[in-house]
Amino acid sequence: MKPVNFDYERPRTIDEACELLASNSNARILAGGQSLIPMLSMRLSRPSLLIDIAHIEDLGEIVATDTHIEIGAMVRQAVAKNTIMIQEYIPLLSKALQHVGHPPTRARGTVGGSIAHADPSAEIALIAVTLGAEITYRVGGDDHMFDATEFFIGPMLTVAPPDGCLVKVGFPKTSKICGTGFYEVAPRRSDYALASAAAQINFDSKGAAKTIRVGVGSIGDFPERLDVDNLLKTDLNDESIVATVKTAITEIETVDDLHASAEYRKRVAAHLAVKALQTARDEVREAPVK
Amino acid sequence: MVEKKYKFISQPRHPTENRRFVAGRGNFVADIDRPEMLHVAPLSSHYPAAIINNIDISEAMMMDGVIDVITGAEIGAAIQPLMNGLDTPKVQRFPLAVNRVRYAGEWVCAVVAESRAIAEDALEKILIDATPQPFVLDAEEALLPSSPPVHPEHGSNVLLDRQFVWGEVDDDFAKAKHSLSFSVTWGRNSTVPIETFGVVAEWNGWDQILDVWASVQMPKYSDQIARCLNLPGNAVRVHYDVDVGGSYGVKRGIKHATLIGYIARKLGRPIRFIEDRLENMRAGDAHGPERKFNVEVAFESDGSVRSMKMRALDNAGAYAGRAPFQLGKPISAIVGPYQINSVSYHAISVTSNKTVQEAVRGFGQAPTNYAIETAMDRVASFLKMDRLALRQRNLIQSDQFPYLIPSGSTYDSGDYHAVIEKVLTAADYPTLLANRDHLRDEGMMAGIGIAACLEPSGGNSSFEPLLNESNKTSTWMESCQINVDGLGHLTARIHTTSSGQGHETLVSTVLGEVLEIDPSSIRITRPNSLESLPGNSPVGSRMAIMLGGAAARSAEKLKAKLIKIAAHSLGIDAEKLTYAGGNVLAPDGRKHTWQDAVELAHRQFHNLPEGMDPGLAAFDIMQVPTGNALPVDGKVHMYPCYSFEFHLVLLAFDPVIGRPEIHSYTVGHDCGTVINPAIVSGMTYGGIAHGIGAALLEEFAYDPNGQLMTQSFLDYLMPSSHEVPPIKIVKHCTPSPHTVFGQKGSGESGYLGSPAAISSAINDAVSALDIRFEKLPIRMSAISDAIANKSA
Repeated sequence: MKPVNFDYERPRTIDEACELLASNSNARILAGGQSLIPMLSMRLSRPSLLIDIAHIEDLGEIVATDTHIEIGAMVRQAVAKNTIMIQEYIPLLSKALQHVGHPPTRARGTVGGSIAHADPSAEIALIAVTLGAEITYRVGGDDHMFDATEFFIGPMLTVAPPDGCLVKVGFPKTSKICGTGFYEVAPRRSDYALASAAAQINFDSKGAAKTIRVGVGSIGDFPERLDVDNLLKTDLNDESIVATVKTAITEIETVDDLHASAEYRKRVAAHLAVKALQTARDEVREAPVK
Repeated sequence: MVEKKYKFISQPRHPTENRRFVAGRGNFVADIDRPEMLHVAPLSSHYPAAIINNIDISEAMMMDGVIDVITGAEIGAAIQPLMNGLDTPKVQRFPLAVNRVRYAGEWVCAVVAESRAIAEDALEKILIDATPQPFVLDAEEALLPSSPPVHPEHGSNVLLDRQFVWGEVDDDFAKAKHSLSFSVTWGRNSTVPIETFGVVAEWNGWDQILDVWASVQMPKYSDQIARCLNLPGNAVRVHYDVDVGGSYGVKRGIKHATLIGYIARKLGRPIRFIEDRLENMRAGDAHGPERKFNVEVAFESDGSVRSMKMRALDNAGAYAGRAPFQLGKPISAIVGPYQINSVSYHAISVTSNKTVQEAVRGFGQAPTNYAIETAMDRVASFLKMDRLALRQRNLIQSDQFPYLIPSGSTYDSGDYHAVIEKVLTAADYPTLLANRDHLRDEGMMAGIGIAACLEPSGGNSSFEPLLNESNKTSTWMESCQINVDGLGHLTARIHTTSSGQGHETLVSTVLGEVLEIDPSSIRITRPNSLESLPGNSPVGSRMAIMLGGAAARSAEKLKAKLIKIAAHSLGIDAEKLTYAGGNVLAPDGRKHTWQDAVELAHRQFHNLPEGMDPGLAAFDIMQVPTGNALPVDGKVHMYPCYSFEFHLVLLAFDPVIGRPEIHSYTVGHDCGTVINPAIVSGMTYGGIAHGIGAALLEEFAYDPNGQLMTQSFLDYLMPSSHEVPPIKIVKHCTPSPHTVFGQKGSGESGYLGSPAAISSAINDAVSALDIRFEKLPIRMSAISDAIANKSA
């Protein structure tokens, strides 16, 4: 378990990182290293140049715009989990972050690294898809923005440009009144999930559901949104939640392996999606006024 | 025997070893750094079975930093095959595959290089030309004459096929009112130490000696290395002062040590090989038993179980190893803690194209206990009888000891009913039942699991001559050596490595107890194999009995000498003297102190009794108590001591999610006199954690192409601190009549019953749905799928 020989660079700016990326077609970005380092050790990843972006200060910022919370690519999961701005404006992400790895892996792992790595069971990717996050890459000198719902295309596969450096992930702020739910099931706590589900309901000022977003992860090649818009016409009673989820999830392709059958994954994902929606419905909370 | 009061034994004292481990100052094999040391990486086969036509090493040999590439053909011609305990001479095993690979992951050749990284680079340059061969993975298929033989020279895949009948089985079945049959399967799992196996070897040509530092737990290690490498026994020096980072059986390391010893001797430079996790899981000594049981039991309407027929089919993997013997140890407790009049036992071990099975905690006893306990649950279910009452009816009574079982072993002592009563009280059984029903009312699937079982301990490994008639071994000694220096301080030598068992604590506690001196003043050393007396390493839950026994007997010899010196000095008959706190007291009040004896023994030969040798030293080489005969008519007495454990667990799961959560876990444990309570509790707690893994999570699983699917911690799932609940350990002490303090073994405790208990609880939870889980591990998805299928 020794990596193939590689060169190592530690740029100080995003543009420097992009230049390095452009200089070597077999370069890879190292962020928190919680997935990449084991892959290097097992020689599953064999870059000739490793670009460590940990020292690019700009990438460690969390910025609030009118509509989004933008999380820099190097923000550690532990920092995101403990950031009050994220807890207040992206409560669904906060809930999911409790389930990401363990304290030691969260101390190193980054929000951006998880998005770029695109593990099908990653909680952060699921939240990005569920909420329709904006993923920004810099290629050369230009920024390119990707919609998270179209970003993931397979296990560890995304539409990201090969010579691009992930800069930030923008998660939409919740409406003033909202509710969220997140659940996952794994053989062991903090393990790779066998099924996961996230839900967020944004309410208008009169308390009517304005948008309902539900996503499921860990059951297919990448996290996916469930189409539950039908629910907007209901009063969110249990029966309609169950029926809507049941219909929506039939569209989702599931995988099976040693740890769980495809049927299991689908059945449990539906179960969790229902629970997530019920929790979101029951947990009406008010976000701080901007 | 009644429980005695001791000054140091059974007292809550911190284990001696804790300090250096907690401070990070252990001395592990990776800490051994020799000048000019080279590193090794093995090349693993991708094929589960293939004939090797050619290995092209030319490109690898040209790389900077690569010193040598060793192939199977080279080592096969240079050394003797590894020891095979069975009489199957055509099933030969070498450290590297010779001409033919027999499992995916098997080592085909080994690169020696200036660094491990260079060695791994060179592996990618080696070209193997091989012709894939048909392969077999399943044990039942391997048994068929039509299956592809893993060793064509051997002619079939059958390593062992022995049918034992103990007592009037047919008669008992004919007379009994009822019978039932079932099958259960124990999945291939193991102990998984944090530290993989590692070895450093160095050949000194001027002294003609091979030094070996290894992370090992293997009986007769230096003898085996010497025999394989065609060296005299005194040319291999294994250093026992290497701390071992976990084992519970799997640190065998014999193929590694012969390979590395061979390379060290060939190249004249120190060689290090430390397995990485992939090498460990695919081709190290990492895999434990994989066993299918067909069981038939005969019983009466009142629940009395009369007889049992058991067929145990074990999948040994590609070579003989120690695996077939793991069908042998359970013979020593084949009826568990129950009065079963007769048993037939059909033990079959087959080769397959899987990784070789090696010794694992309990040496096959945990799977057998799972089968016996499943039988108890099935009989109770058939008779609609309470599972607990059924067991209580069949358990051996405390006044029946010593108790001879049909297969020839005699259980030493026990009070099984008392232990169970203590557990029921501690767990508050009526409340536990109420909690289960309450959980069920809330929509959860809840179940209570029960398991009672034995831990045979103190091993003399009489299963070897039982299963292989050409093996006449009945000696399984252990030894200890002690010396009081010129300043009066005591040093003891123990002749083995330790992998967390706390042998230094054991020996110092025992010596302190007998000599009535402070154990913390006693130094324990571990010499190398050439400076050691014979021993058999910590296997089969034997060291409290055997090393503790040898230490106590050494101390008694020293004490006798102290008294003799005092008698001479004081001019009083030895019989009139008493020994207290290291001093010898005369009835008239005079005192001959420890230091007086030291002065005489070390410096005043003229004042010693006539004929007495100077110095204050003693040693003892102890044979296993009660182990004194070879098998007769397929019967043999094996173990001196039998520890008892009783597990009671409440778990529950959501019917859709299927993930069992343990709500309550209580275990009653009787291992006789406990030497150190913290060590025994730690063993039991860890054993239960291990059993939770075996029951729910852990399996070395293969895909249909013969590839190991669980070869890292990504897929080989072990319970973490989140999955292991608080465990209430209830202690009981029935001393053994065969050991110096009444102690029994405890190294395998917890693990021997917890998989059965967890399985019992899950099956109780789904019993209303008429579902039965008959294979371990019981994965959460399988639970949910089975419930969904019933509801559909």
